[in-house]
Amino acid sequence: MNKMQEYSLEVLKQFDGKEGRKAYVACNGLVYDVTDSFLWQGGKHQVSHMAGTDLTSELEDAPHDIEFLKRFQVIGHLV
Amino acid sequence: MAKVTREMVTKAGVNVDELVELLIKNAGAELTTYYYYTILRINLIGLQGENIKEIAETARIEDRNHFEAIVPRIYELGGKLPDSMKEFHDLSACPPASLPKDPTDVMAMLKVLVEAERCAVRGYTHICNLTAGKDHRTYDLSQSILNEEIEHESWFSEFLGEGPSGHFLRRGETSPFVSKFLR
Repeated sequence: MNKMQEYSLEVLKQFDGKEGRKAYVACNGLVYDVTDSFLWQGGKHQVSHMAGTDLTSELEDAPHDIEFLKRFQVIGHLV
Repeated sequence: MAKVTREMVTKAGVNVDELVELLIKNAGAELTTYYYYTILRINLIGLQGENIKEIAETARIEDRNHFEAIVPRIYELGGKLPDSMKEFHDLSACPPASLPKDPTDVMAMLKVLVEAERCAVRGYTHICNLTAGKDHRTYDLSQSILNEEIEHESWFSEFLGEGPSGHFLRRGETSPFVSKFLR
């Protein structure tokens, strides 16, 4: 089981979901593991949202709210 | 491809390649939903299931119509469907509407159905937002599909006890909003 840990934006970039890497996304200071989500295959969501990034500002324009991300496991904090 | 069509959309500030990719993903969602809803509908049996079967069938046929309506627009904007149907399935904008573990559980079936429609509502809302005032044809297409997806969601939501849908089920032909794109 992953322990909660701190992720900088630089470290988060490594978890881009490509080439077999894990896919993590940050939002509102929390880091979520979306690796196993059908909608995050290859580290990309609905064409323009990338894993390994902080999606806080992008969520404002999304057709869903933070509740959607809360379905995923929180594995750390963004610092 | 419709060259000037694509130019006009680009000039209006839309990233056409991203838009085409979104249309392909949503077309994938429609065709896979048509397939998975076939399985769901077949398994909606018994006294409870029979009530939902007709609604599921209407949504199934209309989602297939949505696929048919989107495909020409993909090609007009310079895109194409994937060569592989497996790839098309896997890039779908929405997760598979798979049969629940207990197919005799009608509430579980309704939850699968309503989540599939909600994904579609979000998807077409997003495309409408991207294209409003910029790509008039894609906007018209997406808005038409969105109208039907909203009705699908409301029917299943009503059966889940979440409140009235506000309207009747289909009376007459399917796809009252999208049919103009199917001629």
